Amino acid sequence: MPHILVIDDDREIRDLLARFLERNRFRVTAVRDGREARRAWPNGNYQLVVLDLMLPGEGGLEVARWLRSQGDIPIVMLTAMGEETDRIIGLELGADDYVPKPFNPRELLARIRAVLRRTTERTEKKLEPAAKSVRFNGWILEPARRRLLNPDAVEVALTGGEYDLLVALVERANRVLTRDMLLDLLRGRQAGPFDRAIDVAISRLRRKLEDDGRHAQLIKTVRGGGYVLAAEIERT
Amino acid sequence: MADTEARAGRSWIFSLWPTSLGARTLLTLLLGLALVQGAGLTIHALDRVELQHESELRNIGIRAMGIYRSVVATSVAERPAALKEIDLGPGATASLTDSPPLDPAELTPQPLTAIIRANMAQVPVRAPNHPRDIIMRGIPWDGSVTIGYRFPDSGWLILQMPVPPSRPWHSPTFLLAFVLMTLAAAALSFWAVRRLTGPVATLAAAAERLGRDVNAAPLPEDGPDEVARAAVAFNTMASRIRRFVQDRTFLLSAIGHDLRTPITRLKLRAEFIDDDELRDKFLADLDELDTMVSATLAFGRDTADAEPAVALDLSSLLRTILDETADARPESAEYLEFDGAEHLTLRGRSVALKRAFSNLIGNAVKYGGSARVKLVPPANGMVAITVEDDGPGVPPDQLERVFDPFYRVEDSRNRETGGTGLGLPIARNIFRAHGGDVTLGNRAEGGARATVTLPA
Repeated sequence: MPHILVIDDDREIRDLLARFLERNRFRVTAVRDGREARRAWPNGNYQLVVLDLMLPGEGGLEVARWLRSQGDIPIVMLTAMGEETDRIIGLELGADDYVPKPFNPRELLARIRAVLRRTTERTEKKLEPAAKSVRFNGWILEPARRRLLNPDAVEVALTGGEYDLLVALVERANRVLTRDMLLDLLRGRQAGPFDRAIDVAISRLRRKLEDDGRHAQLIKTVRGGGYVLAAEIERT
Repeated sequence: MADTEARAGRSWIFSLWPTSLGARTLLTLLLGLALVQGAGLTIHALDRVELQHESELRNIGIRAMGIYRSVVATSVAERPAALKEIDLGPGATASLTDSPPLDPAELTPQPLTAIIRANMAQVPVRAPNHPRDIIMRGIPWDGSVTIGYRFPDSGWLILQMPVPPSRPWHSPTFLLAFVLMTLAAAALSFWAVRRLTGPVATLAAAAERLGRDVNAAPLPEDGPDEVARAAVAFNTMASRIRRFVQDRTFLLSAIGHDLRTPITRLKLRAEFIDDDELRDKFLADLDELDTMVSATLAFGRDTADAEPAVALDLSSLLRTILDETADARPESAEYLEFDGAEHLTLRGRSVALKRAFSNLIGNAVKYGGSARVKLVPPANGMVAITVEDDGPGVPPDQLERVFDPFYRVEDSRNRETGGTGLGLPIARNIFRAHGGDVTLGNRAEGGARATVTLPA
C-alpha cells in the first residue's frame, strides 16, 4: 500500500483528504506545514507527497525545495486557481503534477495514480533532472510552461492530450512506443475516450509539428502499430 | 441656391484645412511667413525698380546733353557729319530736322522730364549755345524716350534714347538666397511646431497605452511648464486608476481564495455520500459554483494580468480549442470546423487569448450546436476571426448588451444552458486589451456570428 504524505494547512481538508485517499487504498500521513513534515519525514518511507502551495509561514515552495533535497519523491502540488506563476515555479522546482484548488477529489486521485505509475517506470532507469527546455529538430518544449515553440520561437498551442503524448514521445525519443504503451503512459491524465484517440492525437500533433502525415519524418509510424519520435534530443 | 453654393465653396476650403494641431499650426505659420516674405519682396522690388529707373533717366539726361553739346558747337552745315562721328551709345539713334518733331500734346509726364532736365544741367554748355527749346516724349516703361533740342540758330536735334527695362533684383543669387532663407524659416517653423505639439501626441499615446495596460510606464514629467503639468496630472490619474484596479483585483482574489477552501471541503465531503445519484448532483452543483467563481476571478483579474505577450500561432491555437471542444463533447465533433491559413503568427498573451476564444467557441457550441471558425488573412494590419453557429441567434436589441457582465439573454436565464454571464465580457476585455475587439451579429441564414479583430 503506497504511503502518501499530505501537507495542507486546513485541518478539515487534511482530514477529509486523508480519509478519501485511505478509502482508495492508500496509507496517508497528514501534516499541517513544513515543520511537521520534517518531523514526520524520517519514519515515513513515502511514495508521494501532496503539497499545498499556499502554506502559512514557510510556504509551499520552500517545502518543495526541501523535499527535493531529500531525494526523488514525486510531488503533486495543489495550486491556487489559475495562478500561473505559482504553477510554473512549482513545476520548475520539479513538481510532477499540479491540481488547481478547488479540485475534484477523483481527479486528484487519478493524477496521483498516474504520477505513481510514471515514477515507478522512472526509477527503473536513471532519473534525469527536470529539464528547463528540451530541443528536438529545432522545436523547443518547455515542460514548466507546458508549451511548445516552433523553430521561429512562435508558441504553438497543444491540447492537453497532444502535449502529454508529445512529452511521452520526446522522453523516449528514438524508441518505438506501441499504442498500448502510449495508452498506459497517458491513462489517468486523460478523462476522455483516449483509446481510439491515440491515432487522432498523433495526426493532430504531426500537423502542428508540420510533419507531413504521408511521409512523416519526425513522428514515424512503425509497422505493427507503434510510433517513434526520430530526432536528436538536447536538454538544457 | 447662391447660399448653398457659398457653403459648398466654404466647405471645400475647409476640407483643405488640416485636422491635426501640428499641421494647423504649421500651415498658419507658413501662410504668415509667405505673406511677410511676399510683401517684403514686393516692397524691395518696387523700390529697386524705381531707383534703377531714376538712375537710368539721369544717365540719359547727361548723355543726351553731351551729344547736343558736341553737335551745337559745329556750324549748321557741318552738323550731319559731326553727328555721324559721335558715339551715341548702344541702342540710341539721332537725327536732324527743321521742324519740331513732336506733338506737344504727347508730352512726357513731369517727373520724368524733371529728372532728365535736372541732369542736363550737369553738362555745362556755353551761354550762346543753349538750346532754344527742349521737348521730350516717352512714358516711363515703354522702353525709350525721345528728346528734341532746338538749336539756337536753326533746326532740331532729335535723339531717341533707350531706357533699359529695370530688373527688380540685381544679382541672380539674390533670388536663390531669398528662397533659401524662406526654406530655412519654414524648416525652423516645422521643427518648432513638431517640438511644441509633440507632447500632445505623447499624451495621446500614453492614454492609449494606459487603456491597454494599467501598469504602463509613467510619462516623463519634463519639458515646458504646461506640458510638465499635464504629464503630472496624467500620471496622478494613472496611479489612481492603477490603485483602483489593484484594489478590485485584490478583493476578487481574496473572495476567490476564501471560497476555495470551503468548496474544496464540500467536494471532499461529497465523496462520502453513499447515495450515488445524490453525490453526483452535489458534485455537479459544486462544479458549477467552481466555474462561477473561476469566471468571476478571471473577469476581475484579466485587466491586471501580468502574462507576457509572446509570438504565437493563432491557427494552431484555434485548432487546439476546437480539438479540445471535440474531445470534451464528442457528439458535437462533426459540427466543428476550421477554415483558414495553416499558420498565422501574431503577438499576444496565449493563456488569455485561449480563454477568450474558448468562451466564444463554447458559446457557439452551447447555444448553436456548432462552431465554424474562420480566420481571415490580415488586411490593414488587422486579422479577423469569425465564429458562426446554427442556433437561434441573439435578439437584435441584445447584441450589445450581452457584453455587459452578468447579463444573460432572457431565455437562457435558467441554468440548464445559462452559464455565468461572464464569458463574453471576459472575451471582450481580453481582445480589447490586445488592441482588438469582438462584436456579435446574426447571420442572414440564421445563427449567430461573433467577429473578432486583432492586430496582426
